[in-house]
Amino acid sequence: MKKEFSQADLIEILTKDNKTFKGINIPSKEDNTLFIKLDSGYNIGIDKSNIKRIKKLGKIKMGNIKNKSHKHDNALPTISILHTGGTVASEVDYKTGAVTPKFTPEELIAKFPEIQSVANIHSRLISNMFSDDMRFVHYNRIAGDIEKEVKKGVNGIILTHGTDTMHYTAAALSFMLQDLPIPVIIVGAQRSSDRGSSDAFLNLVSAALFIAKTDFAGVAICMHSSMNDKECLILPGLKSRKMHSSRRDAFKAINSKPIARVDYNNSFVEFLVHDHKKVDKKLKIKMKTIKENLKIGIVKAHPNMHASELKAYSSFNGLILEGTGLGHFPVSKIDQKTTEHVKILNEIKKLAKKMPVFITTQAIFGRTNMNVYSNGRKLLDAGVLGNFSDMTPETAFIKMAFLLSNYKKDEAKKLMNENLHGEISKRILGEDDFL
Amino acid sequence: MNYDKIGFKSGLEIHQQLEGNKLFCRCPTLVNDENKPDIVIKRKLRTTTGEMGKIDEAAKFEMHRNRNFIYEGCSTSCCLLELDESPPEELNKDALETALQIALLVDARIVDIIQFMRKTVIDGSNVSGFQRTALIAVDGKIKTPRGEVKIPTICLEEESAKKITENENEVRYRLDRLGVPLIEIATDASLKDPEHVKETAGIIGMILRSTGKVKRGLGSIRQDLNVSIKGHPRVELKGFQDLRSIPKTIENEVIRQQENIKKGSLKSEVRKVEPDFSTTFLRPMPGSARMYPETDVPLIKITDSMIKKIKLPELLTEKVIKFEKKYNLNQDQAREVMDIPYFDDFVKRFRKVDSRYICKILTEIPKEIKARFDINADNLKETDFAFVLNALNENRISKSAVLDILKELAEGKKVVLDNYKTVSDSELEKHIAEIIKKNPGAPFNALMGGVMKQLKGKVDGKKAAELIRRLSER
Repeated sequence: MKKEFSQADLIEILTKDNKTFKGINIPSKEDNTLFIKLDSGYNIGIDKSNIKRIKKLGKIKMGNIKNKSHKHDNALPTISILHTGGTVASEVDYKTGAVTPKFTPEELIAKFPEIQSVANIHSRLISNMFSDDMRFVHYNRIAGDIEKEVKKGVNGIILTHGTDTMHYTAAALSFMLQDLPIPVIIVGAQRSSDRGSSDAFLNLVSAALFIAKTDFAGVAICMHSSMNDKECLILPGLKSRKMHSSRRDAFKAINSKPIARVDYNNSFVEFLVHDHKKVDKKLKIKMKTIKENLKIGIVKAHPNMHASELKAYSSFNGLILEGTGLGHFPVSKIDQKTTEHVKILNEIKKLAKKMPVFITTQAIFGRTNMNVYSNGRKLLDAGVLGNFSDMTPETAFIKMAFLLSNYKKDEAKKLMNENLHGEISKRILGEDDFL
Repeated sequence: MNYDKIGFKSGLEIHQQLEGNKLFCRCPTLVNDENKPDIVIKRKLRTTTGEMGKIDEAAKFEMHRNRNFIYEGCSTSCCLLELDESPPEELNKDALETALQIALLVDARIVDIIQFMRKTVIDGSNVSGFQRTALIAVDGKIKTPRGEVKIPTICLEEESAKKITENENEVRYRLDRLGVPLIEIATDASLKDPEHVKETAGIIGMILRSTGKVKRGLGSIRQDLNVSIKGHPRVELKGFQDLRSIPKTIENEVIRQQENIKKGSLKSEVRKVEPDFSTTFLRPMPGSARMYPETDVPLIKITDSMIKKIKLPELLTEKVIKFEKKYNLNQDQAREVMDIPYFDDFVKRFRKVDSRYICKILTEIPKEIKARFDINADNLKETDFAFVLNALNENRISKSAVLDILKELAEGKKVVLDNYKTVSDSELEKHIAEIIKKNPGAPFNALMGGVMKQLKGKVDGKKAAELIRRLSER
């Protein structure tokens, strides 16, 4: 079979065992298989080596949604929705089964009609990528785009984002967007928006409600509070983390409280903290960038560790250690079998002389305290930073990149241990459930 | 009714649940989990504008309701997948193999590459808002007494959640059933009349059961039926309780459609079958299925070597004929007893008891106990039947004692066999002689009654009658 067919071609295939299949040609990355969508809606694949003959029968019209143009309502606030990709805004063409992103304001409103009653919507695509593929350069672009929107005078910004590294981006924007006068709410979805059960609807509309109904300013995440389609939490950008690979309530506040909850059913917003930053139109946004060529590493302590794992970072600009428990690495020689640990300590010492080395806890919840055990004390002596910090490894990583981009190394080291924007808690309260 | 003349058209869509694990997780298939639900979640389902581009009556109908969906689940039969809180895991290979077996049994062409699809479902019966379904094979056929019936499609899909309650604002579902593997077999619309529909449904059911992998019991197989006559749009009937109700229900539906034509009220709709063979409106006929690829499930390439490895079970239809011959049974007896795994073993073990009589003990007598005494005989176990058959085989009881013993066993009583001990021929003769002597000139029936009353369950009626005749002649 030599002839290639394009998408939306109606074709008839005769196989070598004399079966006829009629359907719409579906483009595919599989070289040896031809996919067609049958009349019944099912897609099947036909092995190209089994095909005797293909006939083109015609072309079908692609599905097209008619979008109503929407009018500006002066009584409502204006929200800019910036898209970086992910699963929030995509649409299925039921004729071909292709899932395509929809980002224009008209397309978004067609998908989330109730958002119209909450705010005037501007919508723009700034990138379309998996969040795993994000690099510092992308943070700079996103922050730059946000800065432009802020300067336009919008009332708030919603950033749609893949969930995997959403908490890194939230931390980055929290540091980069200084004197931010309005809310920037990051929204993701754990179930893609092509399905009726997607969490994207509730998350996006709740974020818009939160912007429209409150005086909050700053960077936060808006995601489901539970498995129910009832309520979203507004989570602090510097103190949140994806804690589940697939649940829609995957994002949790770490060593901190959620900022607010938004009840979708009655549009009710309740603040759970009382010292949030407030909208201040007099503030002039200042955007700081992160150096794109910076190399910051994260290394996790584990049993049977080797010094060479740390040596790999010798050419880096900074290193985050994910220590065990209160902030430990295997750095004690207990017997003849643990001599490697002396090498590990030496390696950490060498690194700490060259660059900031900051320890966090892989327990995620709670503070480091390196005064309690000798493995902690040895790390402090080696020049490791991070004693008494409760930053997540991800926030610490972003903070280090931000500080090394904007301050001299010694200043950056000093600031790593200090609370700048709420990334290190003053107090961790004894609540019944920490998660 | 001349069904050909009225342009009768009908096709079946049969859904059969499979035994084992669910299709895309390792939850067991407890379709009716008896545990109390320990998970309750509340959801909304959105119909997106894209889907509404084309007006779909069923979608509109559901959208207007904007209802809350409450899902109840038990941790014993439901995990994150049923809650739509995780992507599907690896496809259940046993279920796929069963689907391929069935495809081969109906002589269908298995597709080269199977692609799971998401079929949009808007009534809440799938937490995700879609059903995972794949076309496994096409162009099959089966033989029926009235000619070949085409099987255009065989699909493997996820069972939906079971609706418990419903009102204006809220629908409540149980999640036990959601995700159970389901085989869907569709026939073409060539079924000739109500009896033919029933026959065809029976044959397909038998083919499915031949695999030994299907679930049994109420609700494990469902027959949906499309019916129309000339001048009336297609109507789908759902919820047949058993095959016997099919012909009468179709007859009623045909009459309803004839009246609709007279009234000029023609609606294509889905109707629910009621126990009195009537039907009631369920919902408008959904538009063609909206499907798009389930990208979380890898494509499945079916190779020739895979197909060659599939072992085909003996078809139950053939097994019936074999049973008839081997055990000297009629077709109904063979069909019933074929499903009892220990029947064959009993025939071998209790050689002095006739195989037809063993069949009767296993199938008819329990029904008789139920009908006459309203005692649940379903709880009779293999050991109970073996106990009775062993006594018969050793000639310790007579046939007339069987029903009474099984009745006691069904009631959970302890049976003392001596109470039913067979009276020896000489003893029986003595008894009968005595009764005749006491009742001189009494007619045969009275004598027989007297004997049976005295020796109930201990003698064989036939033998007693013979003796009465012989002795009273003297």
